[in-house]
Amino acid sequence: MKRDPDPIGDAGLQFFGRMSASISHELKNALAIIKENAGLLDDYVAMMGKGTPIDPQRFQTIAQRIDGQTRRADTIIKDLNQFAHSVDNSSKPVDLNNILELLVALHRRPAAMMQVSLEPRPADSAVVITTAPFLLLNALGLILAFAFKTVPAEAVVTIAVRMDSSEAEICFGGLKALADLSTDQFPGDHENALLTVLDAKAIINAAHCQIIVRLPLPQ
Amino acid sequence: MSEKILLVDDEKDFLDVMSERIEARGMEVTTAESAVKALKQVESGGFDAIILDLMMPGMDGLETLKAIKKKNPDLQVILLTGHATIEKGIEAMKLGAMDFLEKPADLDKLTEIIKKAQARKMIITEQKMEEKMKQIIGTKGW
Repeated sequence: MKRDPDPIGDAGLQFFGRMSASISHELKNALAIIKENAGLLDDYVAMMGKGTPIDPQRFQTIAQRIDGQTRRADTIIKDLNQFAHSVDNSSKPVDLNNILELLVALHRRPAAMMQVSLEPRPADSAVVITTAPFLLLNALGLILAFAFKTVPAEAVVTIAVRMDSSEAEICFGGLKALADLSTDQFPGDHENALLTVLDAKAIINAAHCQIIVRLPLPQ
Repeated sequence: MSEKILLVDDEKDFLDVMSERIEARGMEVTTAESAVKALKQVESGGFDAIILDLMMPGMDGLETLKAIKKKNPDLQVILLTGHATIEKGIEAMKLGAMDFLEKPADLDKLTEIIKKAQARKMIITEQKMEEKMKQIIGTKGW
């Protein structure tokens, strides 16, 4: 199959696929736990039918587990819904604190699989820029994927939203092995294409173990 | 003789409910929340089957399967995954998994596979004993 290179489209599809796969996997886990607890209720009924008494506390434990996993699944679906709607507008005002919250929610499981924790540090007040929400999430997701390569297991990656008079910043910190990686590796074609469209810059500050994304504020 | 199972998954809620259900079926269950803890349990030995989640933080299920088979090639390992593909299934079988099931797994089916695992283990143990006996008889020249 032959087609013209489309780094924005390719990056977007891959990002959507990765996030969808991660979300569906986590939903499956929640559903599996709910199903097994329903099965356990069946087991208790069968045991009671044979004359074995069951402590009512055990039923309460199952109810709490099912409730907990249902809430978990509901949160996952809310995040998925918010992510799906991020493609609705190609340009709109967004609060970077909300983008940060969604970014962390979408990447908590991929981070956990790498044995890395994410620590969001929102700004004290709203930091509003006009941007394409999905493309911004995509760019930040790619930076985060690169950031995971720069930290050992059990590390904490901080993601901070900041603002000065002319620019907004999203700062990925705690990237201890950043200085060890070649600058050829990042940013790549997809990252560069997205940053250009977003009118953003990604700055590697190896000395402080940070990658800083600078975004223009509305004039 | 009740089957002895090692259940490995990073989701504690899953481990809790599955171990209770499997124990209610007369089997003995040990749990491990990570590959590292599972490998330590494998060292203490005596398991008829290991039920192993494919996607775990750090060392995933396939890496863990390799490590288990290295410690004890005769151990019967059943992989559980949230997303079973033919490719993953083939890879798992090539690495020596006994079976490969998609979550949520049917517990009756899983129980059946565990019983087969125990039977397989007993056959392997008997074969090894037979070989040892033949060796002893051969060297002693009786």
